[in-house]
Amino acid sequence: MSTVAPSLAAEALYLHQGLFGRAPEPVVIERYAAAHRKLFAGAGSDLIARMAARGLDVEAVEFALRRRGRGELTRKIQILCYLVEVRSSYQRYFVPLNPSRVRAARELAAAAVRSAWKLAKGEYLVRRHGLL
Amino acid sequence: MDCFDAIVAGSGPGGAFAAYGLRGKRVLLLDVGYDAAASPRLSGNVYDLRRTRDDLFPELIGENFESLHNLHDRPISLKLKSPLLSFVVRDWRSLTPIVSQTFEGVISLAKGGLANAWGAGVYRFTNRDLSGFPISNDDLQSCYDELVRHIGVSGANDDLEPYFGRDEALLPPLELSPLFSDLLARYERARDEFARAGAFVGRARLAVLTQPLNGRAAYEYENLEFFQPHIPAIYTPSYTIDQLRSEGAIAYLSGRLVERFQERAGCVEVHTRNIETNEMEVWRGRKLCLAAGTLNTARIVLQSAGDYATRLPVLDNPMACIPIFSLRRIGAGLSLNDSSLAQLNCVIEDRDSGEPVQGTLYGSTGPLRSDVLFTLPLSFRSNLTLLRHVAPAGGLLMLFYPGVESPRSYLRLSPSGELEVEFAECSGNPEIEGRIIRLLRRIGYLTHPALVQRPGMGQALHYAGSLPMRDKPGPYQTHADGRLAGTAHVHIVDGACFSRLPSKNLTFTIMANAMRIGRLLARGLS
Repeated sequence: MSTVAPSLAAEALYLHQGLFGRAPEPVVIERYAAAHRKLFAGAGSDLIARMAARGLDVEAVEFALRRRGRGELTRKIQILCYLVEVRSSYQRYFVPLNPSRVRAARELAAAAVRSAWKLAKGEYLVRRHGLL
Repeated sequence: MDCFDAIVAGSGPGGAFAAYGLRGKRVLLLDVGYDAAASPRLSGNVYDLRRTRDDLFPELIGENFESLHNLHDRPISLKLKSPLLSFVVRDWRSLTPIVSQTFEGVISLAKGGLANAWGAGVYRFTNRDLSGFPISNDDLQSCYDELVRHIGVSGANDDLEPYFGRDEALLPPLELSPLFSDLLARYERARDEFARAGAFVGRARLAVLTQPLNGRAAYEYENLEFFQPHIPAIYTPSYTIDQLRSEGAIAYLSGRLVERFQERAGCVEVHTRNIETNEMEVWRGRKLCLAAGTLNTARIVLQSAGDYATRLPVLDNPMACIPIFSLRRIGAGLSLNDSSLAQLNCVIEDRDSGEPVQGTLYGSTGPLRSDVLFTLPLSFRSNLTLLRHVAPAGGLLMLFYPGVESPRSYLRLSPSGELEVEFAECSGNPEIEGRIIRLLRRIGYLTHPALVQRPGMGQALHYAGSLPMRDKPGPYQTHADGRLAGTAHVHIVDGACFSRLPSKNLTFTIMANAMRIGRLLARGLS
């Protein structure tokens, strides 16, 4: 039987969906909640609940907030990142499975453009929704 | 009460080799002695494991989320927060508390000490390094030689020989990863330019086996150094402790925290706390070798004197971390013969002080990507892309500066038993950093002074000099044989007795000096 607090499960679901484009495996949600229980007083985040309610772009908002200093949102995404990095199904995000210089150059250029776009969008969302 | 010939407190590099030098005598080694859990070991190359094992959560994150340590507590090294290696720093804060505004290091109460998670760099001190010591390289030479045979040292006599000394018994060096193989080849083509700038590059000398030795297997390039304890090829003092125990050369008692000593006629009493029962116990020996680590050895000495006022000096190597990148390697695959051990060393002459600064070059493929992802400058998904393609092209140059004595670097015992440890801030040397950055750029390795990071004092984990050896020692100083001034039977055999701290990793010299003192004591006991 799952013992995951609803707010933490919703948080993990929202963050993962926003960052990886799909729902996380149940074990990731369980561990996300367990990490909070053990290390972070088990609390869900009001900020993330507000973001989820409004369907905001997680990556954009986190990037904009991180540039002002690491905060709660960055820490929670980092927890999620640790939990998925150790699962084989996520390795394509972390290591080059089919290395190619051409692909690397193309993807790095796209990443730079994507970052600029996410920053602009994040700044707008942070101000528009009063997330500071 | 039973009286041992010698009691050794602590099982790190100093304790292990003081006991080794005392072989043939009745030796009791007292230790807290935490060890790795008997959990299943990781086996195989880290990349293969991450692709083929569905889930590495227990080994890489830990059931108690040990790997998340730096998200909720004072940051510690990436190795020490790894679940299978967390025993190295277990309970140190509760058993040996430190209060500080500036100290960012840790203490180990594990069997083998902090060397369970060391970089395994082993460097002989030259007479230049030993200036200020009441001993010379000649006093240590035979111990260094025996150590090389006992632990196995891989490396090469190359351009760094004037700094590291010549060693005829080296095992072949580790294979270099493609990145550092390229860097070394480019250095060799630009050697004259480097030499004119007072900079030299060569193979790392490591206590890592490239051939089987003394029952230990050769290194297998699994790149598990950040996660796996007791890799047989990588030496730790716990191997020597186990060997001495199996030979019956020492009696080993774990679960004992040495708190203080008291000299009696012809012997010394050692008071320990049993950490299971919390009861105090007393042991007697004709000699006591303190090897609890520079900080805890000083704590024991101050506690024994009931001194809560004196400030003792303390040293550590200030560090600078410089990331480097090779554009040619961006997009390359990860190498299956990679390792997280030191790949190369460099030495840069400081023209002002005449004292060399030592650097160690590491690859960047060992730790979890999540450890560094949020230090990169892009958005989350873009940082993932950046790491994926740049990790095989990136490395880290860690520069170590000589330890600097300062009235603001000190330790003092408080009546409540906490050790107050403070370090003066050290800003490194921008001229030296700029010089090596220019030279690396010249051979195609990109970096910039703005990328230099300066870990806090204590993070080098090279503590030394709290009870320094002197020709004519005063209070809280030691004689050339490690004997603490004002005592008859107490010898300091760890980094605490170092007279100064050059830029080299001191562990090999702690071992050699402890062996030297152990031998001297053994002769005296005869």
